[in-house]
Amino acid sequence: MMLRNHLTLAWRVLWRRPFFTATSLFGISFTLVVLMVAVALLDHIFAPMAPEVRQDRTLGIFRARFVGEHSLWNSAAGYRMLDRYARNLPGVERLGIVSVPAEVHSYTSGRRIESFLRRADADYWRILDFDFLEGGPFTDQDVAGGSAVAVISAATRERFFGNASAMGRTITADGQSFRVIGVVSNVPATRPVASGDIFVPLTTAKTDAYRQELLGDFFGLLLARSSSEFPAIKAELESRLKSVEMPDREYDRFEAPAETYFESVAGQQFGTKEDVRGHPERLWAAMALVGCLFLLLPTVNLVNLNVSRIMERASEIGVRKSFGASSWTLVGQFVVENVCLTLVGGMIGFALSGAVLYAISAAEIIPYAQLRLNLRVFLYGFGLSVLFGLISGVYPAWRMSRLHPVAALRGAAR
Amino acid sequence: MIRHLLRIVWNRRRTNLLISIEIFLSFLVLATILILGLFLADNYRQPLGYSYRDIWSIRMSMNAPDAELTGAATLPFEYTPAGQRAKVATLLGLLRDLPGVESAAAAMNAPYGRSSWSSSFSIAGRNFDYGANEATDSFQETMQLTVTKGRWFDRRDAGMPGEVVVINERLARELFGSQDPVGRTVTPDPPRLQEFPRRPPMRIVGVIQDFRKGGEFEPAGNFVFFRNNVDETYTGPRMPRWLLVRARPGSGAAFEERMIARLQQGAPEWSFRAEPLTRARDTVLRSSAPPITAWTLIAVFLLVMVMLGLTGVLWQAVTQRTREIGVRRAKGATGAAIQRQVLGEVLILTTFAVLAGVAVVAQFPLIELLGPIGARVYVAGIALAVVCIYGLTAACAWAPSRLASSIVPAEALRYE
Repeated sequence: MMLRNHLTLAWRVLWRRPFFTATSLFGISFTLVVLMVAVALLDHIFAPMAPEVRQDRTLGIFRARFVGEHSLWNSAAGYRMLDRYARNLPGVERLGIVSVPAEVHSYTSGRRIESFLRRADADYWRILDFDFLEGGPFTDQDVAGGSAVAVISAATRERFFGNASAMGRTITADGQSFRVIGVVSNVPATRPVASGDIFVPLTTAKTDAYRQELLGDFFGLLLARSSSEFPAIKAELESRLKSVEMPDREYDRFEAPAETYFESVAGQQFGTKEDVRGHPERLWAAMALVGCLFLLLPTVNLVNLNVSRIMERASEIGVRKSFGASSWTLVGQFVVENVCLTLVGGMIGFALSGAVLYAISAAEIIPYAQLRLNLRVFLYGFGLSVLFGLISGVYPAWRMSRLHPVAALRGAAR
Repeated sequence: MIRHLLRIVWNRRRTNLLISIEIFLSFLVLATILILGLFLADNYRQPLGYSYRDIWSIRMSMNAPDAELTGAATLPFEYTPAGQRAKVATLLGLLRDLPGVESAAAAMNAPYGRSSWSSSFSIAGRNFDYGANEATDSFQETMQLTVTKGRWFDRRDAGMPGEVVVINERLARELFGSQDPVGRTVTPDPPRLQEFPRRPPMRIVGVIQDFRKGGEFEPAGNFVFFRNNVDETYTGPRMPRWLLVRARPGSGAAFEERMIARLQQGAPEWSFRAEPLTRARDTVLRSSAPPITAWTLIAVFLLVMVMLGLTGVLWQAVTQRTREIGVRRAKGATGAAIQRQVLGEVLILTTFAVLAGVAVVAQFPLIELLGPIGARVYVAGIALAVVCIYGLTAACAWAPSRLASSIVPAEALRYE
């Protein structure tokens, strides 16, 4: 009943000053658009998404490094490191090995086609669940025998063959020819382990130099039986790497942590020479800090508008106070009003975010990314608007509640 | 007059503090975006120092095991740096024989390429950071570098003791002021730690205008070219990673395909990625567009939001003070005087915010928050931000001040 009164009143008040309402709504909705686009982008990079359907029980080996007292040598893992130290870890069902994408050029009928090529083993296709439009992945035999076969993305098929079927046809990339045995749906370029245009068996590399490398350009994917095995896997890999022989006296240890992609990004940002782990909570804190800094100006703006709007209603507040309304009632009323306003702004912002994300996807700023508002992003946005409404409503409400009824009735609020 | 305004501002200090904070935050946003904008514009105006037309850059990957990892002693000759340099020399010969090629060179890194090499040396206790590259004798002709003093590397430099270098004008100025740097030798200080090798003296044979490897948006910096003519006169550990080819104007994809086929024949186990520099340049310029656009849009929206908000707040403040203004009018103040008062109050608030803002922004260079930006750009950016913020707040106060000046005393005194 109380809430209904508050809501009715809120509705009336909002219409009384259309300029204020419009300005507030503009600020709120725009602020939310920026935050939601940022959240949608992050979600797009880190959240599980096809073909990484088993991300909840997959760890990656994304970085490797030699550390010495005066030196640090950072890179991705080399094939020898993965093959020798990361196989048959306890609790791990499969190890997939895939190279970081390399840009390769192809020439066909007087055109140059640029693609990202990845070399992979057969388990890569079992850990990730690619959507095959044609054919299928290469097999253990293909990898063992170094067969010149390729799985290509739909975009690559279109670039080479138009819309015709690619099965059995030959593509040439980086001076090597491959027979196409499968076509998969496009994966956005932001996905670190699944993006790519052309996938070929890793044994088709031009030389077998990669087999001797501890540091190189490979990612390892460890499919665990369940995420509860993660700590044991990490510890076992760490202890195995203690026996790595140093290439040089300059270095005294080799590190290649098994981690989630989020942990690896945190490690790249906040890891130190002493501690390879990045402490993901620091990355969370950094993102929250950036978000709060950004929110500062819109919040102050909204607080200012709200203070103005409240002081205009000084006489109304004076009347209510003289009839015995407690400060808490008034604070509650005003915060409800403000949360209503931010929720309306939130809805507008939500619609606008959808449009902005659609525009970003359509402009292909991130290749093949289909940024959409999903339920999770919607919930983030909803939470953000409520939080925003509470923060920007509390200070003005507190000031209002402290007005002396007599002063308020005179309209002499400062 | 100002004292009086200050008192009025003080009397409404709580409301005014909030407004000042808002202006202060807007100033930070405005100053940041203007400093970065001026920085980009300033960089864009500077000469590149080379030509990017009719040039192909070709990235080579040797697909060889890393010498340092495997232990150089066990490597077959073609995997050693010397072997790879010999192969590069062969490839350069193949390219020069190809019809349509006017000039070909090899270097450690290429314009608009992702790889870069930066280093520093200290001379008589002064530290100099620089970008570096190692290139063949033909590099100047291929890239059409502008040599402003002395000459580019040539055969005369072979077998000279120490290192032979060509530096850019900026480094020449920093090292020698207005004196002629050509023919002089700089000797880097011995390293502070014993285990690092001592750097050989460097003899400067020429000065180039500049070599801004990253392209138009790259900040001005020092640059040093070392000689590596991929022959036996070179004794360093490095090998070139890029080939640069100047082709006859109008050469297209067919030429590129022929060129790559030729290279692939010469080194079947290597990988080559060719790209016209004009395209690499497009990619670099285009990739800098989305972040610039996004930050500018966010800043503009924040400022529009603040302007609307400020106008609303000031408007509200004027209506709330109708009676006070009515009293002033009744006592003989003109409309213009009232308008001056309202504007004056806002400008005082802005002044407080700007003072605090400048104090904060002046800390940015100390912690290098925005990167290596010169003092000139900083000062210009802050000055422009100050002018803009006064302009913006005055614009926001304009309509409310007009409203205040049009208040009629008789009605105002009855106003509830």
